[in-house]
Amino acid sequence: MGGIIASFGFFFLPLLELKPNRLASGIPFELLQLGGDTRYIILFLLTFIVLAVALNRTTETRGWTLVALGNTMMFLTLFLGALAGANLIGNAETLLEGVNLRNPRILPSAGLILGLVGGYVTLFGGLSDLRKAKTPRVALIVAAWSGLALILIFLLTGQFDIYSVMVEFRARGELLGNRIVEHIMFVGVALIIGFVLGVGLGLWSFRDERMAPIILYVVGIIQTIPSLALFGVLLVPLARLGDRSASSIFLFLLVTAVIAALAIFLYRRFVQSFGPRLRQAFLIVTALLSAVPLALFVVLLSSFVFRSSFVVFTADGTVFASFRTLLSAMLLVSIALWLISRYLKKGLLKRIMRYGGLGGLALFGLTLLLAVGIGSSQFLSRVDSFAALTVRDLGVSGIGTAPAVIALTLYSLLPMVRNTYAGLVNVDPAITDAGRGMGMTPSQRFFQIELPIAFPVIMAGVRNAAVSLVGIGAIASVIGAGGLGDFILSGIDNASIDQILLGAIPAVILATLLDAGLRGLEQIFTSPGIKQV
Amino acid sequence: MITFENVVKQYPNGFRAVDGLSLEVAPGEICVFIGPSGCGKTTTMRMVNRLISVSSGRILVEGRDNRDIPAEELRRKIGYAIQQIGLFPHMTIYENVAVVPHLLGWEESRIRSQVDRLLELVGLDPDEQRDKYPRQLSGGQQQRVGVARALGADPPIMLMDEPFGAIDPITREVLQDEFLQIQKEISKTIIFVTHDIDEAIKMGDRIAILREGRIVQFDTPDTILAHPKNNFVRDFVGADRALKRLGLVRINEVMDTDPPMVAYEAKIEEARNIIQKRKLRSAFVVDRDGRLRGWVDKEAAERETSLTEAMAEVPYSDIAVRQNATVRDALSAMVTRSFRITPVVDSKGKLVGSISLRSLQELVERDDSEASEVSP
Repeated sequence: MGGIIASFGFFFLPLLELKPNRLASGIPFELLQLGGDTRYIILFLLTFIVLAVALNRTTETRGWTLVALGNTMMFLTLFLGALAGANLIGNAETLLEGVNLRNPRILPSAGLILGLVGGYVTLFGGLSDLRKAKTPRVALIVAAWSGLALILIFLLTGQFDIYSVMVEFRARGELLGNRIVEHIMFVGVALIIGFVLGVGLGLWSFRDERMAPIILYVVGIIQTIPSLALFGVLLVPLARLGDRSASSIFLFLLVTAVIAALAIFLYRRFVQSFGPRLRQAFLIVTALLSAVPLALFVVLLSSFVFRSSFVVFTADGTVFASFRTLLSAMLLVSIALWLISRYLKKGLLKRIMRYGGLGGLALFGLTLLLAVGIGSSQFLSRVDSFAALTVRDLGVSGIGTAPAVIALTLYSLLPMVRNTYAGLVNVDPAITDAGRGMGMTPSQRFFQIELPIAFPVIMAGVRNAAVSLVGIGAIASVIGAGGLGDFILSGIDNASIDQILLGAIPAVILATLLDAGLRGLEQIFTSPGIKQV
Repeated sequence: MITFENVVKQYPNGFRAVDGLSLEVAPGEICVFIGPSGCGKTTTMRMVNRLISVSSGRILVEGRDNRDIPAEELRRKIGYAIQQIGLFPHMTIYENVAVVPHLLGWEESRIRSQVDRLLELVGLDPDEQRDKYPRQLSGGQQQRVGVARALGADPPIMLMDEPFGAIDPITREVLQDEFLQIQKEISKTIIFVTHDIDEAIKMGDRIAILREGRIVQFDTPDTILAHPKNNFVRDFVGADRALKRLGLVRINEVMDTDPPMVAYEAKIEEARNIIQKRKLRSAFVVDRDGRLRGWVDKEAAERETSLTEAMAEVPYSDIAVRQNATVRDALSAMVTRSFRITPVVDSKGKLVGSISLRSLQELVERDDSEASEVSP
């Protein structure tokens, strides 16, 4: 399959495009036109070898051969493409006679992409062979990543700078870092709020079967609203909210908190004298009424935290730069410690590494809080008087991150609510009955039985939400939230594929990494007794 | 000890699942609840550990009204095993069995030895099975773990809701036998719910037959089979109740302990003598240690000149029944092999007696006359 894709690409589609400058369209070149250089014949040979090997029976040898071929194909496609590109640029004057040459560029074209895809498919086929042959995990990981690692090394050492995307990257690399951080931040914040809300709502629908269809329906409706429309709808109310003075909002929150406390007290006091109907009605009314101030509070808090922490991650200045280094070092070290500890035999070393890792993570959290605290204090120190402080100053306004976070949170709800609900509902009633019959309290049943069993399903929902948020997050650029969407939008405006790719490739990588990371978490925390095999 | 005092379960729609039930389960006995579906047997059982609340009346557990004990505390003192087993799939076998001890806050070392002991008790090798997950076990093994888990913290009382219901018939028989063996060791007070009358007869020290939330008859299996109280019970235990009763009698209780036997080394005349004297059609041949070697029939004994020529030499398991099997097994063996008399051996194959079709017939006739004398 991989061979077919690749050979199709090499034969029939242009490998590279030579463009006279950044904007004008260029001349496509097919592989066969690249001047009969013997080096390029290798690519064809590779595809034929792949085809020949693929016809063999599934064995470990075939697996390894395919892995090697796939990795080589991916690498050589890029590497030889880069050589050819350099060649083309060198001859640009003669090839593009009479055209105004300014910074001629090499655009990777469909043939090159297909070459990469073909290599990847070949690699994947080989990996599935190896998996069937029960090859050790370490070997599998090496097999899967060696080609990519090689490509990455070449990429970092500037070997592939000939490609136009890399040219664009060199030009705007600084900005790219900031955009990625922005993207990660609003997707992350939305994901965290969405997780709390979504799992909470999923729990609610699980506990109260009459509410379940209503909650799922409402969440489903939200998902159908086009994202642009949702951003637009949020624009006006948030802009209005931004005009309010912060103190009035705080007053509002304070009053509602007091009322809520009072209501809870009264309810506790008189709960016995209520009928079951009344009790239900009371709870629902309270929940609905408290939803507005709660939502407001969450929006305010998250926007503020967002704003302050953004300072930490993007501002220059030595304090924050050293914070950043410290934070990433701590995160990496503690994750590494913890992962290694999982492969160790029981013993003191394992415990030290494990608790060291966990402690490191906790320390990371604390430092992060500290950094955000410093960020916010810096921010607040610039405020003249509290009375003049508006909500907009706290980070909430019609455009920017607040509507982005809100909309993304809303979008993340459906998969989270649905999966939490489905995961919990599908726990075998016999299992919960056994737990009840053995004398587990409701909370013990929830934490020791229902949650661990539903966990993989819930995590699947989180992953689903995470990946789609990275994509939808690109649209948030329209309302000035920044992120990778900025490159994509300006790329569309300028008809510059390079810029679009500059936004799109990191987004794809980000989504993949996020998915892989969450999958890793899922694997680590799922009991082997219920893992899919 | 569990005492039901006029227990009623009425649902909001007015349906009475249990309707004024009173009975007492004695310490150390297996009390079987049986009846057609909807008779309230499971409901009654689940009221004991308060999985279902009592509408009126009360249930005393070890002399205390079970509503005076907090529900969770009560349940931790009562073993609970169900048909669907309900093992926790995300926990290892060890963790499953250790659930209740953990809830009770036992020390880890004590839990460890307890779990090992229980796994051994139910016939699982602790070292081999401890760290496996439920899905790695067969259905029969899972149910063993289910029983071990119910025994987790050595509760004096156990509730078992069709615990062997979802298992294939052969494994079910094995598990039933094993459990009876275990019960001899642990002598718990057990309420055992089933809808299978054969299982009830086999497992129960006493059987409560329920219908529409009331007890129809509460008695030992033998009495219920011999003297069904009314037509409902008679229908329920089935037309073959005489046969079922044979299933309650062990062969060594009724066998002829002086079987017609002749030594392997003996002369053929000896065999002829025994057969003639006892007016039989065959005799059994044993070796010097008394182990069954085969049999010799009347015609062969008269025709041949030596015993070794006349006898049919067969492995004892082909013709004999074990002495601790039930009379019903003996009957089945005789019908299958068309014998009128079958040898009885001990576990080493030594001939210890015989049992004849005629003696079984007498046994059944005696039961029937007893039964018809009492019942109206």
